[in-house]
Amino acid sequence: MPTVLALDVSLSMSRPVFQQDRSEEPPTVRQLAIKGIHALLNHIHHNCKLEFAALAVYSSMYEILGSFTRDFDQLKSRLASLAEYDKSCVETALLGVKAVVAEEWGSGTACQVIIISDGSLGVGDSSLRQLVAGSRLHLPFSFPCRLDVVLLGERAELERRGAPAAFQRLVELSGGEGAVHTPEPPLSAKSTLALFRRLAETNYAPFSGVLHCGGLSSRVTLCPPPQTYNRTRDFEAVKRTVSPELRICGFLSVADVASPPAFSRHLVLPAPSESGDAPGEPCSEEDENARTACFCVLLHGGLKRENAAALVNVGEDWYGIVYSWADNKKKANLMLSLFEPGTNVLPWLGDFTNLGPAVPGAPSPFPIKVSRKRSYQQTCVTWTRQSGLHSDVQKVLRHARKLPDKTQNFYKELNRLRSAALSFGFYQVLESVAVILERECTLLPGNAHPDCALQLTHAATALRHPEAPSAGQTDPAAQHAVPAGQLSGVTWPGRGELGQWGCCGWVRAVRLSWSCRFVRRVDYHGAVVS
Amino acid sequence: MSYPLSHKTVFVLDCSPAMERPCGHQFEMDSLSKGRSSGLIPLAPVTKTMWTCAVEAAVEYCRIVWDIYPSARLIRLIANGAQAVSVNDWTAADQHLTTLMQQLAGVMGGVRSAGSQHSLHAGLAAALHALGEPSEAQRADRAADAAAKVMNRGRVVVVSQLADDGQARRLREWFADALLQHNRTADGAAGRLTVHSCELVLVSVHPDTAECGVTPRPPAPLSAILSGSVVTAKAGTQLAPMMMNLVLSHYELASTTVTGIPMKEEQNSGSSANYDVELLHPAKAYESILQGSPADHAHLRTRRDGCEYETITLKWCTPRTSSAELHQCTSASRVTPVDVNSRPSSCLTNFLLSGRAVMLEMPRRSGGKFVSHMLAAHGGEIFMHALGSGRSVLEDPPSVSEGAGGRVTDYRITEFGRLVSDNRLAPGEASEEGGVPLHAALERLARHTRVWPMTLSESCLAALPSLDSLTALLVKDSLSTDEVLECKKAVYNLVSMEARHEPLPVTTSGARGRGVKREEQYRALWSELEALVRAHCRSDGHQAALECVLECRSQGRAAEERLGLDQAMEELDRCGAPVQDSPLSPPPTKRWRRDRPPAQLSLLEMWNQRVDADNALKRLEFSGRLNGGDNNIVKLYAKLDKDKGDEVKK
Repeated sequence: MPTVLALDVSLSMSRPVFQQDRSEEPPTVRQLAIKGIHALLNHIHHNCKLEFAALAVYSSMYEILGSFTRDFDQLKSRLASLAEYDKSCVETALLGVKAVVAEEWGSGTACQVIIISDGSLGVGDSSLRQLVAGSRLHLPFSFPCRLDVVLLGERAELERRGAPAAFQRLVELSGGEGAVHTPEPPLSAKSTLALFRRLAETNYAPFSGVLHCGGLSSRVTLCPPPQTYNRTRDFEAVKRTVSPELRICGFLSVADVASPPAFSRHLVLPAPSESGDAPGEPCSEEDENARTACFCVLLHGGLKRENAAALVNVGEDWYGIVYSWADNKKKANLMLSLFEPGTNVLPWLGDFTNLGPAVPGAPSPFPIKVSRKRSYQQTCVTWTRQSGLHSDVQKVLRHARKLPDKTQNFYKELNRLRSAALSFGFYQVLESVAVILERECTLLPGNAHPDCALQLTHAATALRHPEAPSAGQTDPAAQHAVPAGQLSGVTWPGRGELGQWGCCGWVRAVRLSWSCRFVRRVDYHGAVVS
Repeated sequence: MSYPLSHKTVFVLDCSPAMERPCGHQFEMDSLSKGRSSGLIPLAPVTKTMWTCAVEAAVEYCRIVWDIYPSARLIRLIANGAQAVSVNDWTAADQHLTTLMQQLAGVMGGVRSAGSQHSLHAGLAAALHALGEPSEAQRADRAADAAAKVMNRGRVVVVSQLADDGQARRLREWFADALLQHNRTADGAAGRLTVHSCELVLVSVHPDTAECGVTPRPPAPLSAILSGSVVTAKAGTQLAPMMMNLVLSHYELASTTVTGIPMKEEQNSGSSANYDVELLHPAKAYESILQGSPADHAHLRTRRDGCEYETITLKWCTPRTSSAELHQCTSASRVTPVDVNSRPSSCLTNFLLSGRAVMLEMPRRSGGKFVSHMLAAHGGEIFMHALGSGRSVLEDPPSVSEGAGGRVTDYRITEFGRLVSDNRLAPGEASEEGGVPLHAALERLARHTRVWPMTLSESCLAALPSLDSLTALLVKDSLSTDEVLECKKAVYNLVSMEARHEPLPVTTSGARGRGVKREEQYRALWSELEALVRAHCRSDGHQAALECVLECRSQGRAAEERLGLDQAMEELDRCGAPVQDSPLSPPPTKRWRRDRPPAQLSLLEMWNQRVDADNALKRLEFSGRLNGGDNNIVKLYAKLDKDKGDEVKK
């Protein structure tokens, strides 16, 4: 993850450090700090090629000396020409860190923050003690972070001033990941370098693992190294680490995985051989490494050719996909997207453990369809706004004016309206629609089909059917009398036994009766079947 | 197991005579038959009862929740009339809109309260009882581990007309007592759960025309395990938007308005106008994008009339991407439109459900814009993918060709592509032995890659296309008789190839360069083949194939001494493989002198033999020689001599 180094440049950092060896000029604390930063940057450069680092200095104000870059020499050169400033104030350091991270990465990228100071807590209102007590620190940051504090001073002296404890509180406020580091006494260039080296080794350990694909495998490193997943979810607290064994389970087409959400993304780079270079180091033409076949390259070629992604198991109940990915430039490489831990995190692929061998040549079984339709996929009724009710009544009317051709649609819409009105207890609308239908009946032109008047009158009567009490009724006893069977739809005259299909079977009933339409017209009895 | 408060929600809908009164908001119906109704008596407007408003609002609440959280967020409705009637259950089957609507109609008639002795206590008690019932997930948890403590939490929303603050207070106190009482009895009872934490939301509705006698109260703790709030709303106009506010805060949802959706006009199909559609989704869709101070993204937020929540406006981007592209997506959340049946909403949802994706643009505060989200449907559900924005830590990555193995040029990419398509995954059924399908997939992949040379130069076998069928068969779990025969055919084919001294396709790069003798190539091929078949020896069929290879190989070795071609040809004939000689080629007996063991050949003879063989391929053998007697010596112009002799005789 990207690193922000925040170096204290207050006047106290220019204090010379007492040395046992008197032969040399005693170094200042700041010189020790710069040496340490050099060592740290060198370690990152060598072990984690693709890491970014930024450099800020702070006193009572902050200054960004170098924003995030992979060119560490540039940062080192900036360290060479530092001025001396006034007092130390951690608050400004945090503000500086926040500003530089927000500008470059937004809030989604985890960052490593390292504050390097001589342990002076500051004075007055802006001292660390006051800041913590008044909770004026802008912690935790808006981005996930690990905060480490390096205090360069004699351990006993620091502890006497209570600096480690105060800075430890800072670490806790930032989210708890990280620690306060002090060099082994006595303070010297040697102990400072040892401290920074230790910090580098623990925080910048490259990931080393093996990518397996059945019998084929390759040692790989992931860039940036994957972080431990530690989150409290709705139903459980989950803590997972990526196992060094990455196992390919099978392959999926890129269209089927459909831009899945990823917890994190990592470049999959072939690990260097034992003698080896740092990962990500471009191999020269003559290099033996580049000329030895590597499974990663083969996998990349195969996935790109088939436009596929490999489903990879990276730990207990934790999966990801490996695919060919290209930056804007034409440099394609293997990428691992880790999903959220769990086996059922992508609804359109279903449970990962439920994925088995596909029959070659069979059409894609993805996406997995939902078993029950969502509201936007079916015709649900909402009348909370006037427009909703109006459009539903209008649909009925539109079909009513095209009778007898649209008889099926007319009754379908009418029944939808009726059953919704019954569910909502909105009986007045039934009466109102009945009136509208009767009015339509009176407005029928002289040459209208005789069936029109017939259907309209029948529908109006059925809406006022005693089983559906009108809203005007006040007698509670009558309202009690609505049987459960009220849901069966309004049926058109003469439908015989089809009328008993009820609301749910209505569409089917319509399809069936399509064939007996002709018969229906002939054997009309005028009976309302409900 | 911990369950969030939103795992269980119980709605208590009051059905008292007061709620049967009209809400005071009128729906005008006359305009529906406008244009035709000249001189007709105008239609009376319709009015919903407060009960209807309450049911509608609750159903809309359910619709939103179930669209966005299809499982694990459960809602129950209780109608509180003369007695409390439970409309639905915690079961998954009941947690669906269609089912709920039917159930509502079913109970509607039976719950009306007749008299004045109406009280909400029955409904509240029923709600507590419902919270105490384990949901399917909780039941499964308890069954899996009886000792595990199931954190059972829930929310109760009461919709009723409250008279005054005193009634609200009495209700809260009664509920707090009842909750304690319930937990005391639930502790020991089987099939009952203690309610560890509960929220009581009292929604007081009143007709639009009347004044409200209750003052709203923000959520505040009432006891260690109970918190409560009071909200008020006019039934006709305010209840539905207020319920929307509640659902947003209860389930941590956010609202997005997609603006600038181009739609054809209904009236004038030539032109198109731009429409907006408001969508709801979990707030986490903005988690990684909208952080920092609220002022930074105030320009995105607007408030709609009558709503307390803010909506973020994103612009529709005419889709151009193909689905075969993987976007850098940080989260995917289900969405549901606010106004599900409106024309713009259904237009957008149908567009998405048809399989197309829509990119959404977010304007930057500093000017400019960037693509922040993608709307896409998967399997009938619409998701909003939050896309990565800003700088990536993976920028400027090295190319795969720059790393280890990047300079090797003869990878078997095509064959690996075939391996990829042969090892695709599909949803499967668990096997009878209880193994999950994924294990079967892993096993298959292991079988397919047991022997798999990565480069062409690494393997003679890989370079020989005629053996592809053999490798394809060997990776199978078991071999049928026919398949064994196929394998044998391929092996015999190889035998005949060797016999005919066909050159192997030699790769120029790698260790096996030009100088390698053909015999050595074949020897390497045979040992590679044996290793391959031996590695796959997992069934009787494979065993048979292995035996066949071993047999041929031992014969091949013997043939180095006696060139047992005939036998190979016989075997080839026996298994029905076509002899691949051209009809023009001379009979093999001419090329191979089986009466002379090669071990006894001198160098000159071997050289001659080879030249002869080459020549034999180039031209037809003189028929006279073929019919010739000993030592293949034939007298030329025999007839001429004979005629001459005859003349002389004459």
